[in-house]
Order: sequence, then structure tokens, then C-alpha cells
Amino acid sequence: MKITVLTFAQTRTQLGFAEKSFDCEPVETPRQIFRRLAPQFDPGQTIRVAVNQEYADWDQPVGQATELALIPPVSGG
Amino acid sequence: MKTRIEFTRAPIVPPTAEFSTRETGACLEFSGLVRELENGKKIRGLFYEAYEPMAQRQLEKMCQELGAKHPCAEILLIHRLDFVPVGEPSLFVRVSSQHRQPGLAFLAELIDRLKADVPIWKYSR
Repeated sequence: MKITVLTFAQTRTQLGFAEKSFDCEPVETPRQIFRRLAPQFDPGQTIRVAVNQEYADWDQPVGQATELALIPPVSGG
Repeated sequence: MKTRIEFTRAPIVPPTAEFSTRETGACLEFSGLVRELENGKKIRGLFYEAYEPMAQRQLEKMCQELGAKHPCAEILLIHRLDFVPVGEPSLFVRVSSQHRQPGLAFLAELIDRLKADVPIWKYSR
């Protein structure tokens, strides 16, 4: 299946793209997907992940999700 | 509860307040302005970026949850994106409610939650 990966703020600079489509399996977790796509990338404790526009667990399989986004610490308002 | 959430790339011009009920006793308005100093350094303004569909969804969810805790009649939230010069508002929120307490609590909690969880980022320019 295909999943669209979105990056924002500093994660866009770290990964070098804003949006890309990748092949993945429903059993894969966001952590596994990013380890495969960008082995040098470490989300650490501060970067969250969103699956289909909802905050998600790094270690929960993505299932049939179509969108995965990296959410670095936010600063709106 | 009537909720309206908008993102704009132009200066924020709040629409005239209209109330769906004459039982509205409180109308609270908050504007978040861009300050001149960022970490002690003068800036021209701030650049805002958002993951818009998720930000919209998260704000709608927050309003629903907060509305269950602090009943209000109408919520209007406008967040400006892209470049916002010093002195201009990046955020406008209007909350109306029957009494002032739920409106004040709703407004304070909504802004706190926006700053913690809504995917919007700012950079100084």
C-alpha cells in the first residue's frame, strides 16, 4: 500500500522533503517506516507522529492509513 | 455550540459579533499579537506554518471537548498564517456564553491547548 509522508518545520530540513509517497505494509509502525525511509532520523522524545491527522503512537501499526506526518514541537498562537 | 475555525493569509479582520440567542450574557475576545522582541532580539515579524487539515480537526475536537466542560454558545477562531508583522494579530478568538465563567474558562483552556497540541509552527523573521 501507499502512504503519504508529510514533514513540517525542522523535520522538513532534517529529512529534505515536505511530502513524499512511500510503499509500506499495514503491519508496519511509524517508527519502522521512518527507520526504513531515513535511517539517520531520530524522533527522540519531542517529535510526535500523526496518522491520518490524529496524534498516534510511534509503535502502533499504521493499518490502512493514508497519511503519516511528523509533528515537531508546536508553537502556534 | 456553533464553532467556526478559519485560517487566513491576510490580516485578521474579525467579523461583527452575531449572537444566536438573546440569552448571551458574555462575549469575550482575545487577540494574540506579534511582539517586537524574540529572545531579546528585535524582529520584523513571525512566519507561521500549519498542517492545516490536522490543525482544523484538532481545534474542532478541542472545542467540542471544552464545550462539554464549559458550555458556550458560539466560538470563532481565526489563525493567521505566513508572515505576520510585529504589532499585528496572529490569532483572534471570540467566545460567547450565557455567563462569563464558562466563557473565560473555555477561552483560557482553548489557547493553552492550541499552544500545546495544534500543529502550527512559527519562525522569527
